[in-house]
Amino acid sequence: MTAALLAGVVSSAILSAVSLVYAGLGELVSERAGIVNLGVEGLMLIGASVGFAATAATGSPYLGIAAAALASTLANGLFAYVVIGRKANQLASGLTLMFFGIGVSALAGKPFIGDIIQGLPRIPVLGLPFDVLTYLTVPLAVLLWWLLFRTRWGLALRATGESPAVAFAAGKRPEMLQYQAVLIGGCLAGIGGGHLSIALTRTWAEEMTAGRGFIAIALVIFAKWNPLLVIPAALLFGAAEALQLQLQAAGINLSPFILSMVPYLLTLCILAFWGWRRQTAAPAGLGRTFLGVE
Amino acid sequence: MKRLAQLLALAFIAAVSSLNAFAEEKPSLIVGAIYVGSVNDYGYNRAMKDGLETMKKNIPGLKLIEAENVPETGDAERVMEGMIQQGAKLIFATSFGHQQSAFNLAKTHPDVFFEHAGGWMQAPNFGNFFGATQTAWYAMGVAAGKMTKSNTLGFVVGVPIGYAIGNVNAFELGALSVNPKAQTRVVVTGGWADKAKEAAAANALIDQGADVVTMHVDSPATIIQVAESRGAMSIGFQSIEARQLAPKGWITGLGFSWGGFMTATAKSVMDSTFKGGMVRQGLGSMLEVAPFGASVPEDVKKLVTAAADKIKGGYNPFTGPIKDNTGVVRIAAGETWGNDKMGKFDWYAEGVIGKAK
Repeated sequence: MTAALLAGVVSSAILSAVSLVYAGLGELVSERAGIVNLGVEGLMLIGASVGFAATAATGSPYLGIAAAALASTLANGLFAYVVIGRKANQLASGLTLMFFGIGVSALAGKPFIGDIIQGLPRIPVLGLPFDVLTYLTVPLAVLLWWLLFRTRWGLALRATGESPAVAFAAGKRPEMLQYQAVLIGGCLAGIGGGHLSIALTRTWAEEMTAGRGFIAIALVIFAKWNPLLVIPAALLFGAAEALQLQLQAAGINLSPFILSMVPYLLTLCILAFWGWRRQTAAPAGLGRTFLGVE
Repeated sequence: MKRLAQLLALAFIAAVSSLNAFAEEKPSLIVGAIYVGSVNDYGYNRAMKDGLETMKKNIPGLKLIEAENVPETGDAERVMEGMIQQGAKLIFATSFGHQQSAFNLAKTHPDVFFEHAGGWMQAPNFGNFFGATQTAWYAMGVAAGKMTKSNTLGFVVGVPIGYAIGNVNAFELGALSVNPKAQTRVVVTGGWADKAKEAAAANALIDQGADVVTMHVDSPATIIQVAESRGAMSIGFQSIEARQLAPKGWITGLGFSWGGFMTATAKSVMDSTFKGGMVRQGLGSMLEVAPFGASVPEDVKKLVTAAADKIKGGYNPFTGPIKDNTGVVRIAAGETWGNDKMGKFDWYAEGVIGKAK
């Protein structure tokens, strides 16, 4: 492997991974509070289209990212009300949220298709050529780890994810904590989607996330519900996608059809290698509906 | 969701047109058109839209009914049926996958005429048209071969079908004709419209030293913008309007120009001389070379224009001997591959770095 190829794989792996890191961290916080959200794909799409639209309208990619975060937070607020406030089934509500996101994003993005935007600029830091959202991934993961594992708020949130009834008995308000977690999840998924349209491709197209929302959900499992591990897990997925394209560009003598299987083969290998260990299991209350206590 | 939106849109169109029926004069001809994507894509659909607008301008009183984002499924048939209900006498089904739906309607509506882009089916009221892109790509290769400094050209391909491989091959042959050191690196994304992968593919090619990037995907917008943001040059395909996306790095591009053909077809329906058949035309009629970018020197412009004129004059770059990139002679000396062979490429020409299957 030549140095140029290695450098190329690393830099495009990082760029592909950024949206996954944000969406994955968002889903992680939500799942730590016991709420599984299958609608990440829809949230990312809403972030991507609203963010692109806002960038096109205002000329500022930073306002675009802010709009992406806000729009997805609001959309996930709906989801939160349905599953926490109305105690609806989380899996069904999440899938509905995904379809809602596909439709809403198509509608919001329609007038802006083909607009030329000022994308999120790359800011060289210590020789690295990335945008500000890319640099912020590591501090964000550390911050979330600290919040979840080193603060009272985080303890209460994790307790809610394990057993809302116990958290309630300890004097916490499980539903309030779940609302907070889900809103954070929506905000981060929106930023992830915004990165895709504003920084990476500078284009809006319908359903442009192409399944990345579901990869973000898988990442949380890979990362064993630990924010710090989300980054290497996302990099692995990013690298698999980058590798197949970089290998072609480097002129490796392999069929493109075989190369396109690389990401999935890699995933299978990791799953086989890693296996399933008891101590890595999910929060005990994940996906269960807290109906309150007598 | 899409389906519901389309139904609502159709209902809306129907309601509005019935309201207007009294106010408007009777149109000279009603033409329907369906697109697979958005007409603002700077690519395939935009080129179709521009052609139809030219037709509308050329024929007074012509009324155009359009529908965007029409999937390549049975839904297309219902959308076109709705257009026929509104009085459309000519329908352009502009995406490859619309063929069967349009053909079904041609059988049940013998008084309505259909033109489909890119297919092969034929009936007295059903014709096919497309641009002969492969030979025209030779001129793009001349432009890229002259402009490159690294002698490395990048080509992003959506799906490596024979026609796309033919485009790549002609591009490399054109580049070699002016620059014997020029190489073309190919990256396949696996889909015609996966934006994030297109961005990653363009980045990969630039990482590998390509300083000119081009593409065969539905919309060139993402790849051209990535190239522009990284200081690479670009050559567009599908719609010549893509040049707006790269004020600095744009060299030139190959765009479809359907206006003339669509105007002639509409006129033939109006005076009942519709012929249909399978129409394939290249540079000078269904294809045009885009305006050059600001950075392109005069001598390069002249060379590219001369190459385009040579192609217009009947020159075929696929004239043997042509070897593939493993050294095997694929087109023997004296042999020429014409339009009928353009879907048959399953090999890359010498100088292309990539594997076709």
